[in-house]
Amino acid sequence: MEEVVQNPDNNDRKFALPVDSEHKATEFRLLSVSTPHMRAFHLSWISFFSCFFSTFAAPPLIPIIRDNLNLTATDIGNAGIASVSGAVFARVAMGTACDLFGPRLASSGLILLTAPAVFLSAIANSPAAFLMVRFFTGFSLATFVSTQFWMSSMFSPTVVGTANGLSAGWGNLGGGVTQLVMPLVYSLIHNNIGSTEFTAWRIAFFFPALFQALSAYAVFFWGQDMPDGNYNTLEKSGEKHKDSFSQVLYHAVTNYRGWILAVAYGYCFGIELTVDNIIAQYFFDRFDVDLNTAGIIAASFGLVNMFSRPIGGLFSDFAAKRYGMRGRLWMLWVVQMGGGLLCLLLGKIGSLGLSVAVMVLFSVFVQAAEGLTFGVVPFVSRRSLGVISGMTGGGGNVGAVLTQVIFFRGSRYSTEEGISLMGVMIMCCSVVIMLIYFPQWGGFFYGPKKGVTEEDYYLSEWSAAEKEQGFHKMSLKFSENSRRQRGRKGAAVPVQSDPPTIV
Amino acid sequence: MEVPAGFLIVSLLLSCFVASSYGVYFSSLNATLSVTATPTQGQVLKAGEDQITVTWGFNQTYPVGTDSSYKTIKVKLCYAPISQKDRKWRKTVDLLKKDKTCPHKIVARPYAASNNSFTWTVERDIPSATYFVRAFAFNAQDEQVAYGQTTNAHKSTNLFEVQAITGRHTSLDIASICFSAFSVVSLAGFFYMEKRKGKASK
Repeated sequence: MEEVVQNPDNNDRKFALPVDSEHKATEFRLLSVSTPHMRAFHLSWISFFSCFFSTFAAPPLIPIIRDNLNLTATDIGNAGIASVSGAVFARVAMGTACDLFGPRLASSGLILLTAPAVFLSAIANSPAAFLMVRFFTGFSLATFVSTQFWMSSMFSPTVVGTANGLSAGWGNLGGGVTQLVMPLVYSLIHNNIGSTEFTAWRIAFFFPALFQALSAYAVFFWGQDMPDGNYNTLEKSGEKHKDSFSQVLYHAVTNYRGWILAVAYGYCFGIELTVDNIIAQYFFDRFDVDLNTAGIIAASFGLVNMFSRPIGGLFSDFAAKRYGMRGRLWMLWVVQMGGGLLCLLLGKIGSLGLSVAVMVLFSVFVQAAEGLTFGVVPFVSRRSLGVISGMTGGGGNVGAVLTQVIFFRGSRYSTEEGISLMGVMIMCCSVVIMLIYFPQWGGFFYGPKKGVTEEDYYLSEWSAAEKEQGFHKMSLKFSENSRRQRGRKGAAVPVQSDPPTIV
Repeated sequence: MEVPAGFLIVSLLLSCFVASSYGVYFSSLNATLSVTATPTQGQVLKAGEDQITVTWGFNQTYPVGTDSSYKTIKVKLCYAPISQKDRKWRKTVDLLKKDKTCPHKIVARPYAASNNSFTWTVERDIPSATYFVRAFAFNAQDEQVAYGQTTNAHKSTNLFEVQAITGRHTSLDIASICFSAFSVVSLAGFFYMEKRKGKASK
């Protein structure tokens, strides 16, 4: 498929959507598939959906798999932890890969490399093999980072929260849909084709594996990295400078905001992953519902993602219109605290109907907090956007591993105690959000420093020598476009135009 | 989202009313049936191939007339304690409605005091585990009224094993490996294509 190649300095409108000076779309049209913006959106959410689908394909079939592979409850728990721990480092690595190679190659590459783990699940023959395939399949959750990076490259700051929220939310949906679809695929194969139970689940795994591989091909052939073309084309023509890995990493790791957002994300997305792994068992054991009902309840937790995460992104953009970056931070804290409170409540409720209702409300808050977190991430760094996204994403998985190990392993706490304690931990960890401060826009408690501009912040990531060679052009454009993050009050303040630092 | 959530809540609330804690408790039953099965202690049976012959009857040491309410007999394959360890889904619970010890049905027959036997081929969905055989007598209201089993009260003697099928087939193995290899090879192909395109645009 022909990529849309455009000279970035050329401003005549060749795009289907209105664009800013970086040629990022300033509008988001959900039902369009126009190249390159909306096409990138649909490719990224579908491929991420397929990865989530594959990673959580095993849980609904556990009753069959545990008999076939002779698994104990410990084996099942360990495999669950393994499924989310692989992505901790994979997400950071993915961030770097996006910065260096572009989201198209990085994501299609990872998806194709993890597809074998899903294919090979069909021939797993022991608890150890089961753990290994879940571990390696879980690496594919790193495509989250490429999704966010891609959206941040294609959409302007005014709509990036919405784009990020929708693509991630609809991707996360895979974890819910799989709980409904895999049992259906299994019974189709078992009842209609007539395979025995222990063979039918194996054949069923080809479905997510093929879906995943095909989505990787779609991304490779139909996607492009940036509105103006792919990385390799842009680099060869000199429009995009091939950045240095060590510099990109340095500027990400030394930016404290990335670490804070990693903690915040660990206590919303990490919680979602934990709940995905334990909630069916919780309803099965505490309320004595049957396995199918428990599966439906588990699925509804993940299905809420369809609108709750995008709503988080929308709320972020909406709060930014009036209050700028400070609005985004306030909104994030409020929603995260709300999620923690509902989690605390969930563990205390003894009646089934009320428990399900609180769980659904809890999932809305948790997933909205995820969308709100990624409303802030695109602004932390321009040069190292990929690594920052990766760190935050990886932090999400660390949160999942931590909570499962502390509260949901062994018999120190009952599941309901674990859930309430998890709620307390969410509320405590959300305090860190108050520590984020952007000198040009302000933070939780303080307003912006007078006279500091977006250029000062983003260009500080480049050295004088690099600026002389013009490597920082895209940061310059981004600074202009992120002016709106001052909110309504700040936008009225005239920006002092700095003398041009490059010729 | 409102409609499915509402429907879910209503149906779950209704099912709450149905669930109750009355029913038959295992500890209230007497072992008035004597049950024997062909597998010997420690024998390993292959699922889908080997057979079990179960014989059961009324234990004559109990007073005559004890079995007047018995209408049907259900013979089941049950997990031994070692196969229940760390596996909550096979837990033994005294309330028989919630008991998960004996999920696999061997045969159901109308009650006769003696001369009962049945030969069963171990089915292909029986998992690898250690087992014993238990028979329940049901009355006309389909409630358990008595039982008998091939092992002792502690479930420690006369236990046998079943070795399950793997569920794997050679064709599956080959398909799995081929698709995996194809994914990796096509990825290498993509990188090569990218490099060429990059060079060409110079």
